[in-house]
Amino acid sequence: MNRIILLVDDDIFQLRLFEKLLTSNGYNCKIALSVDEAESILQSETPDLIVSDYEMPGKDGFEFRRRLLKEDSFKNIPFLFLTSVNDKDNVQQGLDLKAIDYIAKNTPPSHILSKIDNLLQAVREHYERSLSEIKGIAERLNLRNIPKKAPKLKHFKIDYFNQSFQNQPGGDFIDFIQTNERYTFIILGDVMGKKWGAWFFSFSFLSYIRSAIRLCVYDENYSLSEILNKLNRVIHDDELLSDIFSTLSIVLLDDELGTVMYAGAGDLPILKFEEETMELHQFKSDGILLGFSEFGDYNEMEIKLDVDEELYMISDGMIDFELNGKKKSDINLFKEKLFNFKQNKESIQTIKDRLFDKHVSQVDDCSIIIIKKV
Amino acid sequence: MNVKKQNIDDLVLLTIVDKDANLTKSENFKEIVFKEIESGTRKLIISFEHVEYLDSSFLGALVAILKNLVPKNGRLILIELDNDIRNLFELTRLDKIFELKNSLETAIEDFK
Repeated sequence: MNRIILLVDDDIFQLRLFEKLLTSNGYNCKIALSVDEAESILQSETPDLIVSDYEMPGKDGFEFRRRLLKEDSFKNIPFLFLTSVNDKDNVQQGLDLKAIDYIAKNTPPSHILSKIDNLLQAVREHYERSLSEIKGIAERLNLRNIPKKAPKLKHFKIDYFNQSFQNQPGGDFIDFIQTNERYTFIILGDVMGKKWGAWFFSFSFLSYIRSAIRLCVYDENYSLSEILNKLNRVIHDDELLSDIFSTLSIVLLDDELGTVMYAGAGDLPILKFEEETMELHQFKSDGILLGFSEFGDYNEMEIKLDVDEELYMISDGMIDFELNGKKKSDINLFKEKLFNFKQNKESIQTIKDRLFDKHVSQVDDCSIIIIKKV
Repeated sequence: MNVKKQNIDDLVLLTIVDKDANLTKSENFKEIVFKEIESGTRKLIISFEHVEYLDSSFLGALVAILKNLVPKNGRLILIELDNDIRNLFELTRLDKIFELKNSLETAIEDFK
């Protein structure tokens, strides 16, 4: 992915010169002839670097920098000042405004390019280091919203796959709760949002889900409808989660009778491939997002599953695609792919490999759980 | 976040100008609309005329806006959603929560 650089200068000649130099070296440039134009671009694009002149009519570069520092979304974007040769005072003033560095306008192009390359590389490395430290801490605290392995059952085989978005954990969460030898609950949720924010809240939802299931099971209550209704009410009343919403698919496997029950909250339909008719069926739950309304009215249904048939639980990242630079959510496209794999009798591993192909542009974190009756 | 505001009698129409309504814009959009609600707006229309893709962060922001508005006896209508986005609303039962209309005219008519 090309990195974006926002260039701000009232001198169109200088701007075009920089733009040509950077675009011919793999950068994607946005140009602005004034601070107002730059701020308008920032409303729809978040660049990886801003390079701005000091002296411009109207708002100058210093004012631009001061305004950016006041905005949480912009203050951490690396910022370089452009300067003429002999203005040491301006250089100092710029550095005092937390600009990372400055570039003199008469610097040879190859030096400018090296400076920008090195700067962005250093920012990237710093980010990777921080990410790795946080991941290490999460691992040590046993904070995991995707389990390490699936339970082994007599009548069902469970496979699951999760792929993070841009190498950061996200809002998808999976859990397998085996309450005894007979019953296993399979959970797939997706906290609305992306990356760390969604990841953090997924643990609150997971805790509530685990508690709701355990409390109902203590009373010998295995009704998914009742579990979801209770869960929804608790989440609705939790002020910390008042602005955070999650979808949820919950499946109960009875390993004694080989039956499957399902209920959901704002989730995508569960898909089933029927071997005999070679058809892909979908089962849509009727519940709304967890926590939106005090009474969600969640219902459960039984899904008949014969030996060798498979169920697919998916998160919304599985149906988001980027084609020719255009993003879209399309479950039919996903169903078409899955149907073709099944028609060609592809193995679960091949289906997983093809669905998570690194060449397919990913827009969000993606999860799929495949339940096969054996 | 590029949002155009238009007052139509006692209604406020907010048009999202960006093609991608995503994570980087959802918080800012939520703040803009929350301020609108704080200033007393109770009849709100949000137009998706220019939006081609809506991610789950932005959907979450829309749900939070509705949850904020409803207890204040406010009403929100979403208009001009393209087919893919409308399908996503139907697929995830968000159409049970939100009022969706095809055009500004039908939304205004509905508010009368």
